[in-house]
Amino acid sequence: MKMVRVVLGAVVAALVVVVAATGCGGGSDSSNASAASGGDCKAGDSPVITLAAYSNPYDAYGKLTSTFAADWKESHSDQQVIFQMSFGGSTTQAENIVNGFPADVYASSTAPDVQLVQDAGLITHDWTQDENGAIVQAGAVVFAVRPGNPKNIHNWNDLTQPGLQILTPDPSQSGGARWNIVAAYGAAMRGEVPGYAKGSTEDAQRLLEGIFKNVTVLDKSANDSLKNFEAGNGDVAITYDYQAATSIAAGQEEEIVAPPSTVFIQTPTVVVDKNAEENCVEPIADAFVKYLHTPDAQEVFASVAHTRPIDIAEAKKGTDSVPPIDDLFTTDDLGGWDTLIKDTVFGPEGAFTKAFAAAKG
Amino acid sequence: MVADALTRVSGSARRDPGAPTRWALRGTAMLYLGLFVLLPVVVILQRGYSDGLTNLTDALDNFGAWNAIKLTVVMAFLAAIINGVFGTLLAYVLVRIRFPGREIVSAIVDLPFAIPTLVAGVMLVALYGPSSVVGGWLEDHGVKIIFAAPGILLALLFVTLPLVVRSVQPVLAELDREEEEAAQTLGAGSWTTFRRIVLPALRPAIVAGGLLVFARSLGEFGAIVFVSGNIPNDTLTAPVFITQLLSPGSFGATGGPDQAAAVAGLLFGFAFVVVLLTEKLISGRLERTS
Amino acid sequence: MSQQAHAEPLASRGRPASTPESRGRAVRALLVGIALLYVLVLIVAPLAGIMYYGLRNGVGAITDTFSQPDVTHAFYLTFVIMLITVAVTTVLGLVVAFVLARDRFPGKSLLSAFVNLPLAVSPVVVGLMAILLFGRGGWFEPFFSAQGIQIMFALPSMVIVTIFISIPFVIREVVPLLEELGMEEEQAAWTLGASRLQTFFRITLPNIRWGLFYGMALSAARAIGEDGAVLVVSGQVQGRTETATLYILRAFDQYQPERGYVVALTLAAFSIVLLIGIEAFKRRSLKRAGQE
Repeated sequence: MKMVRVVLGAVVAALVVVVAATGCGGGSDSSNASAASGGDCKAGDSPVITLAAYSNPYDAYGKLTSTFAADWKESHSDQQVIFQMSFGGSTTQAENIVNGFPADVYASSTAPDVQLVQDAGLITHDWTQDENGAIVQAGAVVFAVRPGNPKNIHNWNDLTQPGLQILTPDPSQSGGARWNIVAAYGAAMRGEVPGYAKGSTEDAQRLLEGIFKNVTVLDKSANDSLKNFEAGNGDVAITYDYQAATSIAAGQEEEIVAPPSTVFIQTPTVVVDKNAEENCVEPIADAFVKYLHTPDAQEVFASVAHTRPIDIAEAKKGTDSVPPIDDLFTTDDLGGWDTLIKDTVFGPEGAFTKAFAAAKG
Repeated sequence: MVADALTRVSGSARRDPGAPTRWALRGTAMLYLGLFVLLPVVVILQRGYSDGLTNLTDALDNFGAWNAIKLTVVMAFLAAIINGVFGTLLAYVLVRIRFPGREIVSAIVDLPFAIPTLVAGVMLVALYGPSSVVGGWLEDHGVKIIFAAPGILLALLFVTLPLVVRSVQPVLAELDREEEEAAQTLGAGSWTTFRRIVLPALRPAIVAGGLLVFARSLGEFGAIVFVSGNIPNDTLTAPVFITQLLSPGSFGATGGPDQAAAVAGLLFGFAFVVVLLTEKLISGRLERTS
Repeated sequence: MSQQAHAEPLASRGRPASTPESRGRAVRALLVGIALLYVLVLIVAPLAGIMYYGLRNGVGAITDTFSQPDVTHAFYLTFVIMLITVAVTTVLGLVVAFVLARDRFPGKSLLSAFVNLPLAVSPVVVGLMAILLFGRGGWFEPFFSAQGIQIMFALPSMVIVTIFISIPFVIREVVPLLEELGMEEEQAAWTLGASRLQTFFRITLPNIRWGLFYGMALSAARAIGEDGAVLVVSGQVQGRTETATLYILRAFDQYQPERGYVVALTLAAFSIVLLIGIEAFKRRSLKRAGQE
């Protein structure tokens, strides 16, 4: 009897304490002044910038944000910028922003995801005209294989060999998965895959069907997919080269095999205008994104995230962490993301849509 | 009886809570459940069905949709049956048999509540997946568990085991042993006693537990998304399918929150009806026998 | 056969009868064996796996993990959410339990079905519910953002979804106890002049306390273990909206699985200790009261 009272009393007391404590820390971000309906906007002593990024470059952005904040403090009379960072699936982050996540800067892994945010009215400038087209990181789609490449995977057609187990993520949940599919499609369409005629959509479809017949696991993110491979499952994982390179640098035993032809991954980072304005941090957010294009920042991306130079001619040469590629093509070479998504690859009659239905129907 | 006697003695007895308290309690209960359960359900149904059935039909037109739902329902059903049996067995063992480590086992049974489902999924793959000792051996002998349908069942069994055990255990513990002893005196063997006397008494609890397993299995995501492989028409389940609908980007899928809401509404409408019907069935049966 | 039954001491309520017959013992051993095997394969193995992967590089993994500020913050956040969840689901759960056990009105079984509904809802759907209610364009978003309160992608939404998924536990434990208890003692108290509140605290609560505590413990365990729904609504801001479970996911993502497993183990250990503790107290208390 007494015990019941004691327990309930303790719970209520703890609750009161906790609510009081967190009430001050808050469910709302209180260290920024808000520009409520276009009023006067002063960022304050400790402006907070919220960064929503795709999951891969956490290390790089960790370093870049702290370097930027230190530099800013020196050059802006001790104003301490605080970065709040969130890492997750690129599309998930885009959707979160659309649903109200107050990101000031969005580091995406694909242009269509940025488009999602722009379509919701949260990006009000033409980001494609930003410096370098807003692209801050680059890479290529490659194959991660077991040491020694026991299954002899060298090109896209090698993926269709019977009995092979391929890991690639679920395109409806992962931006990385779409890069993978576009890479295969593009390579076939450009005639760089033996046995598949150049310019033939039927052949491109056939290649995709052959590949997806061998896919037994569709993980929900590119990260999960590579991790699954590294846990010992499957024979090959289709992945970003820099993701695999990061893994290898972290001690994983796998090799990167670059096909002769593959897509040039270009990941954009943009300022989410409406949020940045509301949070009174637009100048700082702009400065940060600008900073990402400087040689210093690019060096960080290269050394920490193992990405390629964003200039495609340089990128083809490869780096210490990732191999050179003969034929590196962009999504623009294939007609642009819009065409790929709405029509040629992921559209209702798209090569992938039909290939997948045939493979798994 | 005592109360009645005392009432007659002291005139100002209050025998029941009285209307105001009853309404206060009812009101609070309805407000609580209304805000926290009904409201979210309504918002989903509104989003999914304000256009009639179009969202649902569009959603089901998506590649792999029907099979995802079928697979989920079948797996939920199987999980309910299997854990119904093993859960009851476990409850029986924990209540009726003294063995060393009984308390620890009892606590372990509740563990699935505390382990994040995503972690459980990762673990099940690590332990029983094709690159593990057990899984590798099984695959060599043609049995595929992880990244195949049995893996889904395994994950569901893990997550839902406590539901049946905790449903049956208290009833079993409170069971009056007289009938069983009488039966044994009359010559019935243990199994007959169990089947004819104990089991019928436990039936409502077992069914209630099984229903919970069924309902929970319809919605399980975290443990399954790693374990199953998520291949449409093969190992894709409804909850993962709903996730896919939310971020459409493939399979020529239309998708979107409206379709996701429609399918979600379908699933929990289904769960709701099954639970309601079965509970009515059980309580109906109970009233008839007593 | 009938002689055997007379030879046994008449078992009292709840105490297992021990049959001298070896066949009975063998059967019971078999049953225990099957049950234990099931638990071993299904639950113990994954738990052992988590322990192995977490601690295989030594117990230093524990100190390393707990020295991370993100980890301590994550535990703090989990604790806060758990506390609020348990408080709300206990107090309001008791109210619902009373209504379900004692009251009679049309549509009561509907109410009961609602109580169980959260168990059937997928975490993604829970997240969707929150977005539709509190996200941009949601039903309540204009109201809250006008007040400057951030619900979505902040603590409030995380608490709300955790409450949602924890609703059933206290109610399910308490209702059968209340039903079995009946109202005699309470009615006796009322006739003797006790107020309703006094009766509740002095008579009702003590009678249901073990079920109540157990339901609270289950609620707590469920709250700290939730990952899916909280993942969707939290926005995953490192060191700010990351619960322990979300930290685990990030640790896996960022090539620090040991830390993830250590945190997972901590959560599991907390729940086990809580549940064992309640069982132990209950046993002791019942023994003291002379019932077993």
